[in-house]
Amino acid sequence: MTKTAVVIGAGLAGIQVAQQLTDLGIVVHLIEKESIIGGLSTHLGRVFPTGDCALCLDASTEIFDGQHRRCQYRGLVTEKKNLKLHTLTEIKSISEVDGNFKISIKSQPRHVDLDRCVVCLECIEVCDVNTPDEYGIRGGTRKAIFRPIPQGVPLAPLIDMEHCTKCGKCVDICKVNAIDLEEKESTKTIKADALILATGVEEKVPLDFPGYEYRTSEDIITHAELARLLDPAGSTNGEVTTSSGNTVSEVTMVLCVGSRDLDAAEYCSQACCTYSLKHADMLRDLGIDVTICYMDLRVPKSSEHYLTLAREKGVKFLRGKPDSVIIRNGKPMTIVEDTQSQKRMQIESDLVVLASPLSPLADQNDALAEFIGEYGFISRVAKEGRVYACGTATGPTDIPTSIAEANAIALQVYTDLEGGV
Amino acid sequence: MSKPRTYTYFPGCMIPYRLPHFELTAREVLKKFNVELETHSEHSCCPEPTTFTGVDFEAWVTIAARNVAVSESTGNETVALCSGCFHTLAVANHMVQEDEELKKRINKRLKKSGLEITGKHTIKNILHVLHKDIGLDVIKKQVTNPLTSLKIAPHYGCHLVRPLEATHMDHAENPQWMDDVIRTTGAEIAEIEDKMACCGAPIMPSGEDKALTITASRLDQIKASGADAIVVVCPTCYTQLETQQAKVADKFETEYNIPVLYLGELLAFSMGMTDIVTANQRRFHRVKLGALLEKIGGTP
Amino acid sequence: MVKQETMLDLEFRSWLLEQPEGETLLRCYQCGRCTSACPVAEIEPSFNPRLFLQKILIGDKSIAENQLVWNCLTCEQCEVRCPEHVKIPHILILAKVRGLMAGNVPLAALDRARTIISEGRSLSVSSPMLKTRTKMGLPDLGTPSMDQIVAMLADIGIVGKLENVKSVYGDAEDE
Ligand code: SF4
Ligand code: SF4
Ligand code: SF4
Ligand code: SF4
Ligand code: SF4
Repeated sequence: MTKTAVVIGAGLAGIQVAQQLTDLGIVVHLIEKESIIGGLSTHLGRVFPTGDCALCLDASTEIFDGQHRRCQYRGLVTEKKNLKLHTLTEIKSISEVDGNFKISIKSQPRHVDLDRCVVCLECIEVCDVNTPDEYGIRGGTRKAIFRPIPQGVPLAPLIDMEHCTKCGKCVDICKVNAIDLEEKESTKTIKADALILATGVEEKVPLDFPGYEYRTSEDIITHAELARLLDPAGSTNGEVTTSSGNTVSEVTMVLCVGSRDLDAAEYCSQACCTYSLKHADMLRDLGIDVTICYMDLRVPKSSEHYLTLAREKGVKFLRGKPDSVIIRNGKPMTIVEDTQSQKRMQIESDLVVLASPLSPLADQNDALAEFIGEYGFISRVAKEGRVYACGTATGPTDIPTSIAEANAIALQVYTDLEGGV
Repeated sequence: MSKPRTYTYFPGCMIPYRLPHFELTAREVLKKFNVELETHSEHSCCPEPTTFTGVDFEAWVTIAARNVAVSESTGNETVALCSGCFHTLAVANHMVQEDEELKKRINKRLKKSGLEITGKHTIKNILHVLHKDIGLDVIKKQVTNPLTSLKIAPHYGCHLVRPLEATHMDHAENPQWMDDVIRTTGAEIAEIEDKMACCGAPIMPSGEDKALTITASRLDQIKASGADAIVVVCPTCYTQLETQQAKVADKFETEYNIPVLYLGELLAFSMGMTDIVTANQRRFHRVKLGALLEKIGGTP
Repeated sequence: MVKQETMLDLEFRSWLLEQPEGETLLRCYQCGRCTSACPVAEIEPSFNPRLFLQKILIGDKSIAENQLVWNCLTCEQCEVRCPEHVKIPHILILAKVRGLMAGNVPLAALDRARTIISEGRSLSVSSPMLKTRTKMGLPDLGTPSMDQIVAMLADIGIVGKLENVKSVYGDAEDE
């Protein structure tokens, strides 16, 4: 009998495990609460270890010579018969009867029929609504009918009903009748033999970490925001600017903001050291001075070249955790002890980038509560032979490790369900 | 009137014997709410937390625990008006509660005087009493002379607030309780930079220059806020910001002239008891209150 | 000889770790946030709480005799910001305690301590002040049983110490 697995979360780990299981003959439902797949990576631009587009780290032989990867968007997430993608969908409840799961899900309407839409994008052209773009920074806007990012899968647009005026222009222009302004939310129950939690992490918005005035200034940003500034396809066309539109010549980075901190995230967020280095390298390429305030640099072997590169490119390193980043004379100022020279410094810069913690998304959904362990993360086997987790749902890590873990879990699920390889 | 609510009052040294107008106004204000402060002759110096601790910590925590044990024997909750005393008693109590070894050691010493500390006694400061026990609405009802013309800078001071696990105050960096109580008088709160900045007093014995530099920076921050007066709870902050104010101004060749009031004095103003403040102003206030009194319609 | 010094140093560290809340020192990961948060460090470059803790951690007891520790305000700004909840001012207090017999105690602190153990108050109570209290209608506060207090303090050993200690701080204390 064909087995069914439900994968929760279509970030890179979820996509990977779903594809692998489908290829092994298991029916997979891939559940994603956002309108597109890719999770955190859709915010990131280039990622380590190779500096490629974040969306290109999936498994295949096609694109990168010799490497086992391909662009996930050229992959078959939406094409495979046995892989059912449910976007804009959340888990309402999970129950278990005789070793089988009944998983009830609720999907928000997209208002654009994925089977009909030919992605001509004329609807977006005609829409008159302009509203702040969640993926934009420094004032980017989008329409009420929109695509979060151009490469986002599914490729078809969606309508944000909070801002839509229901003028009907998009409906009229659509030649294939794909748009339904009245589409309602829907619920569904899926029976499954295994459950894989690939719920991932988000970069915490550092609103409440004492000392760092993120709340009051647009020149104190996070790495996800910096990635948007650096993205050539983003709203600034890759130009790194201050909130007042000036070019940036000095950037200070603060590591471990709210990580390894008994008042915030007690754990190390694992990836921030490396992506700080990656961003520092990219900023140096633009001729921007970078100072990194760190406690210790926790860079995995696979990414050590970023550190070498940063040193070569003249990134300044200062060992010390800043007490505060405040605004003085309109510019961010970082107050930190350089613990090597034992001097208390006040560093003025155009932009300060905070390495905010990566915090688990699983504990935002009550239906998953029973599987959650320390700090909101889940162990790889949350329930013997039934419930698994992979990717950053098990703890923050970088993308290569996430993908490797997804592969391992795929094999384990397959073994458990099919009784051996 | 119903039976008064009675607290065991821990007097310490600074308030009763140097700044008794603190005690006077606190008592008079609390009387309006039928609150009595009862003394106990066995209370000694708390001992103060800024120098005696560093002379002999074990002696400090022992005497402090003894004072708590004395309070405990009364069966009432304790109120310390002075922030130093409050901090000492609260911290020692908390340490005893957390550390079985320490508790055993101290109780062995206290046994000879027939005293015992459990670590469970409740120690409060004036803000706990006003904000939590009496309540803002009840306070508001006694305000007969709203001070709407005043802008007040609340200076909390470190020892009143920190450490939270012992003081049970609302917030270590951005406390609100004094702001709330001041607002009941109708006064406006001045926004001061660095809400919890220290007055500088604790290091007067070891580094007067540095202490006064810190005091000056505090007074600068308050002056910049445009406040008509500073309100404090702590007598040590008072000494530093009030008694030393002229000295600081001289040293840094500037002028402040910012009146400093004890919270009880401000409340007394708002409750129509201006005279208990003015009767003692010349003795205890070096910065003249004249302009302030004029603003609130009292006689200077 | 070197060996003996090392032992002495470790004794200081172990003593400190055994005091109430002393073991919070071991959580310190030397990030320096305390120093960047400290209002004294802001005006006095040689006052560096992180460095003081580092010295104690590696068993350097010189800190106990360093007059700088007495420049700590005990304001706890460092502690509030410390990601590891290290009881920084408390640890500096313990260092001061160990410096007492070497005379690392400001004169005013010594005077106050002596008044406390003889009179039970940190300041002498004058008769005009007692009169003022009466005039204000404030109650008589009485006096605690000093014999009991002194007996306890003698047990702890502080009474004898205070008789013998000489402050290295001059009369004009500051600087
Ligand atoms: S106009 Fe219709 S077919 Fe074209 S993108 Fe919009 S919904 Fe799709
Ligand atoms: S109906 Fe809504 S989405 Fe479509 S064009 Fe009008 S406002 Fe835009
Ligand atoms: S990865 Fe680096 S920056 Fe991130 S929490 Fe760990 S040590 Fe801090
Ligand atoms: S802030 Fe805390 S952990 Fe960091 S150096 Fe200071 S005491 Fe150590
Ligand atoms: S408690 Fe002492 S070390 Fe800590 S911030 Fe205050 S003055 Fe500095």
